[in-house]
Amino acid sequence: MSPLLLTCAAVLTLLLVGGCRDREITAYRAPKDPAAIAPVPAGTTNTGDLPPDHLPIGASAPTATGAGAMANTAVPTGSDHLTWTAPAHWTAKPVGAMRKGSYAVKGDGVEADLSITAFPGDTGGLLANLNRWRGQISLPPLAENQLDAHREHLDLGSLHVDIVGFAGTTNGAPTRILGAIVPLGGETWFFKLMGPATLVAQEKPVFLEFLRTVRPR
Amino acid sequence: MSPVIRQFRDFFVSLKLTVVLLSFSIVLIFWATLAQVKLGIWGVQEKFFHAFFVLVKIPGIAIPLPVFPGGYSLGGLLLFNLIAAHAYRFRLEWQKAGIQLTHLGLILLLLGELLTSLLQVESNMRIEEGAKQHYSESYRSNELAILDTTSPDYNEVVTIPEAVLGDSGVIQHPKLPFQIRLRDYHPNAALQMRDQAPHTAPAPALGRVEGFASAGIGPRLVVIPQPITYRQDERNAPAANIEFVGTEGSLGTWLVSPLLEMPQKFEHQGRTWEIALRFKRYYHPFALTLLDFSHDKYPGTEIPKNFSSRIRLKTDDGRDDREVLIYMNNPLRYAGLTFYQASFEKGDRVSILQVVRNPGWVLPYVSCVLMGLGLLIQFGIHLTGFVRQRAQT
Repeated sequence: MSPLLLTCAAVLTLLLVGGCRDREITAYRAPKDPAAIAPVPAGTTNTGDLPPDHLPIGASAPTATGAGAMANTAVPTGSDHLTWTAPAHWTAKPVGAMRKGSYAVKGDGVEADLSITAFPGDTGGLLANLNRWRGQISLPPLAENQLDAHREHLDLGSLHVDIVGFAGTTNGAPTRILGAIVPLGGETWFFKLMGPATLVAQEKPVFLEFLRTVRPR
Repeated sequence: MSPVIRQFRDFFVSLKLTVVLLSFSIVLIFWATLAQVKLGIWGVQEKFFHAFFVLVKIPGIAIPLPVFPGGYSLGGLLLFNLIAAHAYRFRLEWQKAGIQLTHLGLILLLLGELLTSLLQVESNMRIEEGAKQHYSESYRSNELAILDTTSPDYNEVVTIPEAVLGDSGVIQHPKLPFQIRLRDYHPNAALQMRDQAPHTAPAPALGRVEGFASAGIGPRLVVIPQPITYRQDERNAPAANIEFVGTEGSLGTWLVSPLLEMPQKFEHQGRTWEIALRFKRYYHPFALTLLDFSHDKYPGTEIPKNFSSRIRLKTDDGRDDREVLIYMNNPLRYAGLTFYQASFEKGDRVSILQVVRNPGWVLPYVSCVLMGLGLLIQFGIHLTGFVRQRAQT
């Protein structure tokens, strides 16, 4: 066989070996893992009702495998296409992987939570998302034809914002949600202030003023 | 020789082909450099260099089309061209020794890059002070691991690479007493608690639902598919719904993702099983124990002076048991692997070592020496000829 053919055969074999390596199912015996070393999550996020020993979901993704300066994992949610200016008395909280912004709104010894999130697509549509929020404060879902009666529309430059306000209860305590939904370039942004009814009602003008600071980047 | 074969030969040994291929390579590198802004280094490597063709999605056409030769095509053709030209024109002459050595070096360099791109495995090992580590983990590849944890001393592990998860088929492995059905797969997805997520389909009723998790933590979570990221500082977090089917029917469908940091457990036929989608692991026949990690700073500043890990290396068969110091530019080379000090975490109590297996690592060095030597000889021959000529006149 000529050296030329030999070289070609060797190169082809290499390519095949390289290509097939990624699809091989393997079985082996491995030592038990030592007790898990829990990495410190980058921010507080929804722990929800996970088992008590489970790490938060949606927090900074696994850093257990060599994070540090090398390869931090971040799961992209929406992009960072919006900017805003928060009022001085809102305290910024650490954002997890799912939130774009997070603030504590305090007053009269109680606290409300302002979250800013963004997701690709329309995430199920406006009605579905409003009903999800209503469900969180024990309100019955709205029908399609009731939608317009419950939303205000606001045009902020190129942004079209739907603003809603719902008053309900969580665990018997009067709770309000003030929300704004902003579709932008194939994504949907959610600004949601949720907390004790009196505090959220009191903060409504501030929230509306805050929305006026929201701008495309 | 038939005219067709002669045409082929003339085409592959021609210098014009070399020039065209080099011009194409320049365009490819320029294009890839610009594309790196959006795709990042990994994406560019995969799309432009570790590919036979650069595929581009053209509006209106569903499948991506090859629009330009990729790194494998250009590199392969250059290699072929170089070897063919040499095989054709080779003359054993002292006068040509320099050129021939230089080109041999170039051939080795190209082969070395091919070997590296195909066979190099990079992973990292994260060790906490005092802890012993048997494996390193991939930066980017994931695997579905199904572990039989019944024995108190060891785990029996079956791993399925992520590339197979997208096939949506059935896997039957002799070590598993159940079938694995791949229900759905997202190459990158975020997870959120169902009651806190934006609106999605309602939670399925308990019991098996096609494509939806019915066991473990899955029913309480929502999978939010995300675009694949190519950024160097980000990783994709895949998510998949995997159903296990035993002889008496379905055992349930589990949602798996590396974002779920703990394996999910279940019992089947008196044995305990764990399932996890995790970063691909490479087990080694030895263990490293981190005795001490040092992070020295210049006095009075936060500027790092030195990072070092004092490691105890112990093989499973007890042949090797020694202490090693790994620090910047002084890696540990052992069993075909190179361990570099790469990073650290957790208040200087965790050291992260980059682990590289590259069977072709020596080729670039050899090729550089050959090329250097070849050029030296070639210039030397010319120089002596020139000096001799001058002396005669």
